Amino acid sequence: MALKALDIYKILPKKNCKECGFPTCLTFAMKLASGKADAGTCPYLDEATRQLLKGATQPPIRRVKIGVGERSFAVGEEIVLFRHDKSFVHPPGILFQVSDRETAEEIRGVASRVKDEVFPRIGELLRVNGIAIRNDSGSAEAFGKAVRVVEETAEFPEVLIAGSPTSMEAALAECGNYRPLIHAATAENLGAMCTLAKRYGAPLAVRARGIDALRDLAGKCAAAGVPDLVLDPAPETLGEFLQTSTLIRRRALARSAPELGYPVYLDATVPGREQATLSLGILKYAGVMVTTPGSPASLLATLTLRQNIYTDPQKPIQMTPGIYRVGNPARGDPLLLTVNFSLTYFTLLGYLEASRISCFLLLVDTEGFSVLTAVASGKLNETMIRDSLQRFSVEAETGHRTLVLPGYAAPLSGRVEEATGWKVLVGPRDAAEVPEFLEQSWKKTSPG
Amino acid sequence: MAEPSEWTGTIGRVVLGATRGEGGTRSVQYCIGGSRDLPFLPDEVPCGKRPLIAFEICDDPALWPPVVREQVGDLAGDPAAWAREAEKAYGADLVRLHLTSTHRRQVADLEGVKRTVESVLAATTLPLIIEGSGDPAIDSDVFQRCGEAGAGERLLLGTAEADRYRSIAAAALAYGHAVIAQSPIDINLAKQLNILLREIGVPADRIVIDPYTGALGYGFEYSYSVMERIRFAALKGDADLAMPVLSAAPDSLTVREVRDAAPAERQERALSWEFHAAFPAAVAGADIVCVRHPLSVKRVRDACSALSAGLKGTPAQGGG
Repeated sequence: MALKALDIYKILPKKNCKECGFPTCLTFAMKLASGKADAGTCPYLDEATRQLLKGATQPPIRRVKIGVGERSFAVGEEIVLFRHDKSFVHPPGILFQVSDRETAEEIRGVASRVKDEVFPRIGELLRVNGIAIRNDSGSAEAFGKAVRVVEETAEFPEVLIAGSPTSMEAALAECGNYRPLIHAATAENLGAMCTLAKRYGAPLAVRARGIDALRDLAGKCAAAGVPDLVLDPAPETLGEFLQTSTLIRRRALARSAPELGYPVYLDATVPGREQATLSLGILKYAGVMVTTPGSPASLLATLTLRQNIYTDPQKPIQMTPGIYRVGNPARGDPLLLTVNFSLTYFTLLGYLEASRISCFLLLVDTEGFSVLTAVASGKLNETMIRDSLQRFSVEAETGHRTLVLPGYAAPLSGRVEEATGWKVLVGPRDAAEVPEFLEQSWKKTSPG
Repeated sequence: MAEPSEWTGTIGRVVLGATRGEGGTRSVQYCIGGSRDLPFLPDEVPCGKRPLIAFEICDDPALWPPVVREQVGDLAGDPAAWAREAEKAYGADLVRLHLTSTHRRQVADLEGVKRTVESVLAATTLPLIIEGSGDPAIDSDVFQRCGEAGAGERLLLGTAEADRYRSIAAAALAYGHAVIAQSPIDINLAKQLNILLREIGVPADRIVIDPYTGALGYGFEYSYSVMERIRFAALKGDADLAMPVLSAAPDSLTVREVRDAAPAERQERALSWEFHAAFPAAVAGADIVCVRHPLSVKRVRDACSALSAGLKGTPAQGGG
């Protein structure tokens, strides 16, 4: 069970010796309770208490890092069942699968895609996370060779999929030091896979159908000294995955089964069902997903869903407030005010760019709130608009003092005119209508 | 394998479509809702195993997504033939007719609207959703005519909103239909509208919640979470939210990613965009998901079936 800070404080030595790095035992207790300190740093705890605190204060789902360097990713550390309860934390890694039966050329092609394919979207770069190599041939030599081809292309996270420890060893000889995910330990090969995972310090997936078998296997791997595990419940249908992964998440969060406190693996290579499987994995608790390299169109939708679902509901993706130029605006061109909610900005930008209108956008800091919610909550008001006009020296850029407010901010227009001394035009509510509005209204009232 | 459940509420049931035995002319009757657990979990025994897929058509395609118009050609100008195609060729469970002709500035031909509804009823035997009036000034006339044209057929009429629900409620009550209650991605407003409808006499078993669904990449996550929260609140016992949910993301096929796609890629973009709002909505608990691209129907239905395979339920209602 999770402990509260005061419960933890009661079992600490209360010496305030500062040896843990925190000024008082109470501070240390609060840090432990929020998972930001390690019970092991207190030298005065007996072993039983230390273990108790470790069990109660480490995250309910272990953080597992896959790969090294810039493209590496971490999963786990999730704390809720529903994103609206707080937020999902680490977006699931998505990896393209290749087979060691494919030619070097084919493998290189997929690897290049993983390396280079990137979709910029509302200020973020969306891409797949790595590559999975599957030992379809059964030959250790072919498997090692396929991994080498991938290694020659680039350095990104890998999943090594083989049932035979001999094949796995051959692959690990190529890339074992780069934290690939070993897939998978099963009831048959458990000992050998654990030995390999320990030798390379690599994360290990355990695969068993059904939650009890999985729990048993994960417990054995942990006891064998492999700390970083990933659970593959080997579902036969989408429905079975949903049920099992929900149960794993529930039990892990309740800390009722420590052997289930690991990220979940999902095989999304079933032909014709890739999109549905990836979607479900994103929505329902997958941490690592392997799929066949699909079309860029379908991949973009998958990655966009992942971006949507892993956006913190309390903290929308934001833009830095300031002046943004659309096209090549000159002095006298329109000035539109909008909020620093990324979606608002990029939606508006899309329509403006499509219409080839040059203008200035003044993004004011509404902490990522949309126009409607910023007006309702008072975050968007005449004082902050006046301050923003001054802070960003807007007039020096535009050469005029006419400001277009979003339609939903219409109630503010009088007060904004008064507070700023600028002329205010009220634009449409819908970004799609902004270009037409500028064509018609701006020309009529144009200050230049 | 199920966890002991703390739920106390059950999602109410709504019946759509009336067969001859029930005084209508539909070939099938659906019962939606009825769930006592989170979507697709083992405890679930809803009246239909999987969500229903509604195919959307309109009577004036001028503003309909170009990617659909290209696909369906002349059908877009013929609601009756289009509805028949939705049933026979696309494999839809429901047809949702948008009376987009009422969005034009001057709608003179209200009798024409009624004839359109009648012709669609004659062309397909599937239960229908009718989306009336684009203008509050003619709501009363439009809904009255739609209600009358489908009397006894147990239509689902759309769309009631907080400041616009009386005419549609009146038509639903007079002719025995159900209504869609739409609120802007907000669980409290959804609840409030349901209460308003109840106060003027619309029973809970005639209400389907539409929480409004943003397109993928354009606020979809807000809609997704509101749908999860509605289901959660209903299972926790809030009777004013314990209605089935309908999800439609009307902008899916006109977002920039589809509009600006290279021609060779546009269709796959469109299908992917529609899929990634429809299927996740089903995962969040929507009982009816709406699509506009003909090829989306099978894609979304297959995915939903894969999710509900093995669940207890009555396959005849809601399909397998």
